[in-house]
Amino acid sequence: MLRISLSNVWLVIKREYLERVRQRSFIVLTVLLPAIVGGAFFIPAKLSSMKSSKTQHLVVVTSDLKFGEIVRQQLLPSAKADDEKASADKDDKDVDDDDKSSNNYTIDVDSTPSEAERMALQNRVSSGDIDGYLWLSDDAVTARKVVYEGRESSGFLEKSWLSGQLDRAILLRELAQRGVSGDQADVLLKPVKLEMVRLKGGHETRANDKGMFFAILIMVMLLYMAVIFYGVSVMRAVLEEKNSRVMEVLLSSATSTELMAGKLVGVGAVGLTQIGIWITMAAVYALPALAASASAGEIHIAPLTLVAFALFFLLGYLLYSSVYAAVGAVITSEQEGQQLQFIILLPLILAVFMMGPVMRAPDSPVAMWTSMVPFFSPILMYVRIAIQPPPAWQIALSLLLLVATIAGILVLCARIYRIGILMYGKRPTLPEIMKWLKYANR
Amino acid sequence: MNTVELNKICKNYDEFVAVDHLSLVIQPGEVYGLLGPNGAGKTSTLRMMIGITVPDSGVVSMFGETFRRAHMQRLGYLPEERGLYKKMKVLDQLVFLGQLKGMSGDDATQKAEQWCERLGLKEWTDKKVEELSKGMQQKAQFIGAVVHDPQFVVMDEPFSGLDPSSAVVLKDAFLDLKKAGKTLLFSTHRMDTAERLCDSICLINHGRAVLEGDLGKIRAGYGKRNVQMKYEGDAKFLQDAKLVQSFNDYGNYVEVRLAAGADPQDLLRAATSCARLSKFELMEPSLEEIFIEAVGKANA
Repeated sequence: MLRISLSNVWLVIKREYLERVRQRSFIVLTVLLPAIVGGAFFIPAKLSSMKSSKTQHLVVVTSDLKFGEIVRQQLLPSAKADDEKASADKDDKDVDDDDKSSNNYTIDVDSTPSEAERMALQNRVSSGDIDGYLWLSDDAVTARKVVYEGRESSGFLEKSWLSGQLDRAILLRELAQRGVSGDQADVLLKPVKLEMVRLKGGHETRANDKGMFFAILIMVMLLYMAVIFYGVSVMRAVLEEKNSRVMEVLLSSATSTELMAGKLVGVGAVGLTQIGIWITMAAVYALPALAASASAGEIHIAPLTLVAFALFFLLGYLLYSSVYAAVGAVITSEQEGQQLQFIILLPLILAVFMMGPVMRAPDSPVAMWTSMVPFFSPILMYVRIAIQPPPAWQIALSLLLLVATIAGILVLCARIYRIGILMYGKRPTLPEIMKWLKYANR
Repeated sequence: MNTVELNKICKNYDEFVAVDHLSLVIQPGEVYGLLGPNGAGKTSTLRMMIGITVPDSGVVSMFGETFRRAHMQRLGYLPEERGLYKKMKVLDQLVFLGQLKGMSGDDATQKAEQWCERLGLKEWTDKKVEELSKGMQQKAQFIGAVVHDPQFVVMDEPFSGLDPSSAVVLKDAFLDLKKAGKTLLFSTHRMDTAERLCDSICLINHGRAVLEGDLGKIRAGYGKRNVQMKYEGDAKFLQDAKLVQSFNDYGNYVEVRLAAGADPQDLLRAATSCARLSKFELMEPSLEEIFIEAVGKANA
């Protein structure tokens, strides 16, 4: 076998990288995508904040004025603020609750739950006089089946918050009726917060669900995005070279393995550059906001997880790109490539499906074996490391298998590439590809 | 030390035999033509010679040694179809190709600029390849093959699809390389081109060498059996099967192929007896005729 000339690989990398980064489409995409994504987040957020900043006028209908007052207290922002103050010294409230505080209500209590009153309220809702009413007749409360009628159907979060506050109001009334004072009731109703602590080698490690989940989510998203965006451009690069016959000239100077390796790393580096720029932009934009929010302190990711992130992301990206390169070497047109794309992505999708079982039991044999498979390990081994680091030999073995597979695919597709470029017209069948591999062996 | 020596190389693609026990020798400093009709196996032979593909059997030697990777740096290759990155600037591309052959960036830039100036591409070095005309692309491709000053230049159909003026520029550059002592090999299906430029040839058909060696000797071996003549009057002498094997009337003159064993003097006498001659010249056969005859023999 021919030896690899690193200077040739470097030349190919440099060419691929510079040519691509200089292209207008690269610059446009680099700037445009954050703008689109930013817009996609910013505009709905802006719209919903516009809506919720308006004060909503509600009417609580109940024959029991005292109960009406309790409900009113529960729905008013001041009540919530008290609520939070009571619990803030020990732990922080759920984010969902914080979101709700932007909603302002004006609450009237109506003590005549009659059909006539209901008709009148419905008319007031339609005319826009009030935003909605809560029908808390004795029957409804006893049956715990309460109706809210409003002009706008409320969102999921609003509904669950409303029903939570009503639960609390009803409980408070029941407790009051049994002679429990308001302060005592607060003590009784105080929610439990469970903290998970992991014991490992005598050390206490505070399980950090948020940070861990965050780290896993970003990995999966980035890997997906990189593979879908840049895998295809590796495929296209190989195909273009084949169709424009540049290959023939290059092969009189360099080996196909050098060309493939250079192409893979060059196009890969372009993808990393772009993602790097995006991450930097996102960080500059989001960090101040994150730092300001109370929950930021909870997101800290272990250094090992960060290292694993970089390693498995790079290798996973290289692995899938090399498969794309092989497809590029076999096909004769991009349309053919599109049909094959789904098959390439299938292992990645499977790995995402297997994340659930692996996360539940990171030390199980199933988790161990699946996280060794090169096409799964970039996600599954990484998930295991993020949750509960497996023995070092397992990490090392999965990395080794991953690197070996990438090298194997590279050599294989360099062969297909070399023979495939000398044939035109039709896509080769599988037996033909096998034959090529044999030819190239000689 | 021969520049190239092919010893019984073979290449099959599935059932199809592309090259069949082909042997040839290319001497240093000569212009060598690889001739044959389309599909004869010319391109397959060239590719094996310079290491793009590997023969199924047989040996390729270059510069007196069995072909190896290091030889690639000393040869230049111009493929039949244009092989340049369309979106890349001309100069960047030539420098890239030069560097792949082991040149330094500065050296490659300097040489590429010199060549571009010489072939009239100076104004185009900053343009993308796709903006160039076909002729200019071919010139750029040619520079790509010679920018690293190779000892041996291999060109696959270098003159096909070129307008006459570009063809002349390229031919001159080609001959300059010869004067500089380079060995040149090109393939063509145009016998007249080969006739004008080559020192030696290899005629191949169906992957086999039909004729190989020094062009002058090959032609001499076929003897002077053609007569070019101009006449006025009766042309019945052309019908004499004992003297004339075949003839071709080109309007201005007639080209006659003598029958086997016929004496040209007999034809001259027969012609003067019934017509007035203004030209009677004995000629070596054209390469095209040699080819047709050789292929006919090989197939028989």
